[in-house]
Amino acid sequence: MHINYWNELTRNNFGKLGLAMLCFVLFIALFAPFLARYDPGEPSHAIFMQPSFEHWLGTNDIGQDIWSRLICGAKNTLLVALGVGVFTTLLSTVIGASAALVGGLCDRILMRLIDALIVIPAFIVIILVAAYVLPNVWTLIFLISILTWQGGARLVRAQTLSLKERMSVYAARTFGANKLYIIVRHIIPNLSPILFAVFIHSATRGVFMEAGLAFLGIADISTVSWGLMMHHALRFYYLDVWKWWLIPTGLALSVTIMALVFIGHAFETAMDPRLRVVEQEDWQ
Amino acid sequence: MKIPEIGTYAISFLIILALIFLLPRLMPGDPLTAICGEEVLVVMTPELKAELMHRFALDAPLWKQFFVYLTAMMHGDFGYSYYYNAPVLEVIFEALPWTLLLVGSSLVLSTVLSIIIGIESGWRRGKITDKFLLTTTMILNGFPNFFIGIILLLLFAVYLGCLPLQGAKTPYSGLSGINSMLDIAQHLVLPLIALTLAQIPGSYLLMRNTMITTLKEPFVRTAKAKGLSEVAVRYKHAGRNAMLPIVTTTGVRVGTVVTGALFIEIIFSYPGVGLLSYNALLMRDYPILQGVFFIVAVFVILANFVVDLLYTKIDPRIGVNNAEYAH
Repeated sequence: MHINYWNELTRNNFGKLGLAMLCFVLFIALFAPFLARYDPGEPSHAIFMQPSFEHWLGTNDIGQDIWSRLICGAKNTLLVALGVGVFTTLLSTVIGASAALVGGLCDRILMRLIDALIVIPAFIVIILVAAYVLPNVWTLIFLISILTWQGGARLVRAQTLSLKERMSVYAARTFGANKLYIIVRHIIPNLSPILFAVFIHSATRGVFMEAGLAFLGIADISTVSWGLMMHHALRFYYLDVWKWWLIPTGLALSVTIMALVFIGHAFETAMDPRLRVVEQEDWQ
Repeated sequence: MKIPEIGTYAISFLIILALIFLLPRLMPGDPLTAICGEEVLVVMTPELKAELMHRFALDAPLWKQFFVYLTAMMHGDFGYSYYYNAPVLEVIFEALPWTLLLVGSSLVLSTVLSIIIGIESGWRRGKITDKFLLTTTMILNGFPNFFIGIILLLLFAVYLGCLPLQGAKTPYSGLSGINSMLDIAQHLVLPLIALTLAQIPGSYLLMRNTMITTLKEPFVRTAKAKGLSEVAVRYKHAGRNAMLPIVTTTGVRVGTVVTGALFIEIIFSYPGVGLLSYNALLMRDYPILQGVFFIVAVFVILANFVVDLLYTKIDPRIGVNNAEYAH
């Protein structure tokens, strides 16, 4: 059965809403230089200003314009989402697919490694690593990806194993197709829905982890990150500033994660035939 | 218990041991401060330095260092925190009960709640209750656990002022008996709610999906046809069977709850392991960080192991299959 996943996604209410929210965040990230009214990193003498016409969301403890920082933080978050998404999916695909295609001892060793790595809490490993080297955005993307590819690899392996046995692959082989041809023309195109699911899932986790680590203070101080803004803002919770500093930043972060979660949910519902029928009846 | 599974957990354990061993030793800079924490520089004398060098065998080859490190671990020697001026294990064990209280109660509460609302939601799929529950949890799913904690803190402790702001008990209150327990419970409420709310969406969605697929099974129709009451079909027949994935993912969920507790403890200044490791991170108190990492990771691995063991007990079909393969 062939499913048009894009149609499924846009027919689901969660999918529609998630896409709209993601486009909104993307728009803000792209047009940040025009939307921001001040240099987000520029400190001034006007500290702890209340929201006003000059500073829409007031200023923080060193006089930076919060609205400008909020707008510019979108870029960092989306960069992490894209980076972790792409890199984790790549790792999962290469490891999962080669385990399934090579098989034998290689498969057994890789699966054992995946099983062993899956029970180690990745977040805590990153905190330990970060205690020694303060990561910048790129090292963070690398760290998160290298520690969280296992789940995706397992999915890709399972799917590749079932694709390998398909009649179409068998037919291609009887026509004399070599391994590379089968991988490029038969396996990879049929893997793409799984890969998209893995991508969305790891992007969501990446955003969450980056924000969490920055919230703990594990981030390059020069980057404008929503998690880092919350880290600084929480120290002044006894002042009124949380109303326009802490809450909007948290909401911006939540909207981004929500968009990804919605898309992921809609997509998973489209992929699981048992749920798909039900959801179609219920959610239109 | 099958041997290969024990092997897998042994590999996880070895990876953790290797990480703790290699990280400080491979970092650029002085390995002594990387192992003992930056606070050690305050009390550093040539004699102490020589002694520490000798204790960790830092001038010996790497394999010998690993051997020394393993021997110390096996004696329960996790190092010495120069910041707290106490052995690491002592400091951690002081904080551990609070984390266990928070994590344990949140795990139980979130599991029970998500099973119940998952069953109800799956049973009424497409109805208004289901739509409401699904939409609410999906929105909740978008909020990172630390933001949920912050909102609860600001709303109940700062804005309304009806619940304690931080800590696990009122300091120097001299309360005892029932009053002291009430005090502890009062301090637990907000962190517990925050952690549980963050935990519910994942398990609820899993429960709802399994419930929907289980309800299509023939045995559910049989149960209905026998004239059983609706509640009996929903909970005893469909619900009980749909619970399996929730039970089998308990090990994984322990990992996420522990990580969540880390953030929640920091926000509410709850004196558990999370707050301890946060302070250790700020102070670059590496022995504490390594100790916390070791204990938390081993705890999560053990939880997974126990769930694996119980798995066959809960779902007899798996045990039967294995026995068949064995013959």
